Amino acid sequence: MEQNLTYEEAYAELATIAKDIENESVSVDVLAEKVKRASELITFCQTKLKSTELEVNKIIAQMENANK
Amino acid sequence: MEKISPIRLSELNARINNVLEKAFHAASFWVIADVTNHTFRSQKNYHNFELVEKDPNSNNIIAKVSSKAWGNGSARIANFEQVTGQKFTNNINVLVLVKVTFHGVYGLSLEVLEIDTNFTLGVLEQQRQATLEKLVAENDFIQKVGDHYRTKNNQLKLPMVIQRIAVISSKTSAGGEDFHHTLQNNPYGFVFEIHDYHSVVQGENNSDQFLSKLIEVYQSKLRYDAVVITRGGGAQTDFLIFDNYQIGRAVAKFPIPIITGIGHQKNETIADLMAHTQTKTPTKAAEFIIAHNKSFEDEILSFQKSILIKSQQLFSIHFQILLGVNSSIVNNTRDILNKYKDSLVQINQVTINTSKSILFNRKNELVGLSSQIVSKPKIILYNRISDIRNTISNLSTFKSLYLKNQRGYLGHYVSIIKMMAPENILKKGFAIVKVDNKITSNPDAILVGGDIEIMLASTQITTTVKKKTKYDGTEFNL
Repeated sequence: MEQNLTYEEAYAELATIAKDIENESVSVDVLAEKVKRASELITFCQTKLKSTELEVNKIIAQMENANK
Repeated sequence: MEKISPIRLSELNARINNVLEKAFHAASFWVIADVTNHTFRSQKNYHNFELVEKDPNSNNIIAKVSSKAWGNGSARIANFEQVTGQKFTNNINVLVLVKVTFHGVYGLSLEVLEIDTNFTLGVLEQQRQATLEKLVAENDFIQKVGDHYRTKNNQLKLPMVIQRIAVISSKTSAGGEDFHHTLQNNPYGFVFEIHDYHSVVQGENNSDQFLSKLIEVYQSKLRYDAVVITRGGGAQTDFLIFDNYQIGRAVAKFPIPIITGIGHQKNETIADLMAHTQTKTPTKAAEFIIAHNKSFEDEILSFQKSILIKSQQLFSIHFQILLGVNSSIVNNTRDILNKYKDSLVQINQVTINTSKSILFNRKNELVGLSSQIVSKPKIILYNRISDIRNTISNLSTFKSLYLKNQRGYLGHYVSIIKMMAPENILKKGFAIVKVDNKITSNPDAILVGGDIEIMLASTQITTTVKKKTKYDGTEFNL
C-alpha cells in the first residue's frame, strides 16, 4: 500500500470501487484488479482503524490512571 | 452682718440628693444622645462615658451629662452590641433609658438601664444605605440592578480553576485557619497555592490598613485566580469595616475576583455586595472554591467519558461500514461474474444451436441441389433427343417442297438476268460510251474535241465530241 495514504482517501477510493461494482460499470478486464484493490483498501482501513483504536484505548487508559 | 452658720458639704450633698430623690425617684427617661469619653473596665463590666447633645447646625455641645452602665445596664449594652454589630463606643448616636442618680463623691450622673437596639440599627442601616447610594452615585463601575449591585468585580469571570489565592484575614483569625484547613484537606486532592495577607479586619479605623493590603495584593503582580477576604465568626461587634465606603469601592473596582467569607449572620456587608461571590463563612468560601474546581474536574471527566464512548462508537460504526462495503463488493463481484458467466453460457448455447441449424440447412440445400443435378441432365438429354427427332421428321417432310420452291426462285432470277444482259439492252437502243477504252457514265470524263467510242449491238463507232449540252434528264421518265 502506498505511503501517506490517509484513511479518508482510502475510504473514498473504496467507496468509488464499491459503487462501480454495484452499478456494474466495471469491465471484466479490470474486475479482478478492482476487487484486489478493494480488498487491499479494506485491509488498510481495518488495520488503520484497529491501530487507532488501540492507541486511543491506550491514551484513555492513561487518562483513567491519571485520575486515580 | 448675719451670722454665718455653715453646713458640711456632705450635708448639702445629702440635701441635693434628697431633692433629686424626691423629684426623680423611680422615674426613668428615654433619651437620645451621642456617646463620648467612653471607657470600659471589663473586670468590673463597667461603662463610663458622657452623653452629649449637639446643636445640629453648629455641632456645638449644648448638653452634657456624665453617665455609666453596670450590672444589668452593661448586660443590655452587650446584647445591643451583639444584635446591632455596633460596638458601644464614642460617637455613636443612641436611644437609652436612663435614671438620674446622685453620688456624694461622683456627683450627678445618668445610669443607663436599657439601650434601644432598633434605633441604632435604623441609624446604622441609614448609614449603610447612604454609603451604598454614594457608591453607586460616584462610581460608574457600580450599578444597582434590582436588589443587586453590578460591579466591575462581580462581572469578572472566575478562572475555570482557582488555584492561586490571596487571602486577606487577621493574623490570629480562626476563620483564616478554617479556610486553609478546608482547602488543604479537600477530598479530591486539589492543590492550592495560598498567600496570606494579614490585616486587622475589624474596626472602621483600620480600613486604611485593609485597603493597603488589597493594594499589596494587586501590586504583587502575581496572577492570583481569586482574592478571598475572611473574617471568622465570634463577637458580632465589628463588621462595620466591611461597610466602609473606601473598602466597598476598592472591592468593587478590584481586577481580580474577590470571594468573601465573612462570618456574619446579619444582612450582607457592603463588601459582600460589591464582591464577586459572597459566602457566609471562611469555611464556606473554601468549599465554594473546591466546588468550583470540582465542577471543572467533573466537566473534564465527563468530556473524557464522552470521548471514550464516542470514540468507541465511531470505531464500531467505521468497522461496520467497512464490513458492509466489503460484503457488498464481494456480493456484487460475484453477481457480475455470474452474469458474465450466464451470458457466456447463453452465447455458447446460441452458437452451438445456430451452427447446427446452419449445417443442417446447408446439408438440405446440398441434397436438393445434388438431386437436381442428378435428374436435370436426363431431362435435357431427353428433350434434345426429341427435338432432334422432330427436326429429322420436319426435314424429311419439308425437303422436297423446299427444293421445288427453290427451283421456281432460281428460274425467275434466270429470266431477270437474261433481261439485264448487255446484248439485250443494246438491242433495245441503248449504247455504251467508252473513253480511252474504258466504259464511263460520267460526262466530266468526256472532253469537247476528245475521242469517244460508242458501242451498239453489233457495231463500235469511234467519233470526236463536237459539243456538250446539259439537259434535265426527264425525257425518259417512265
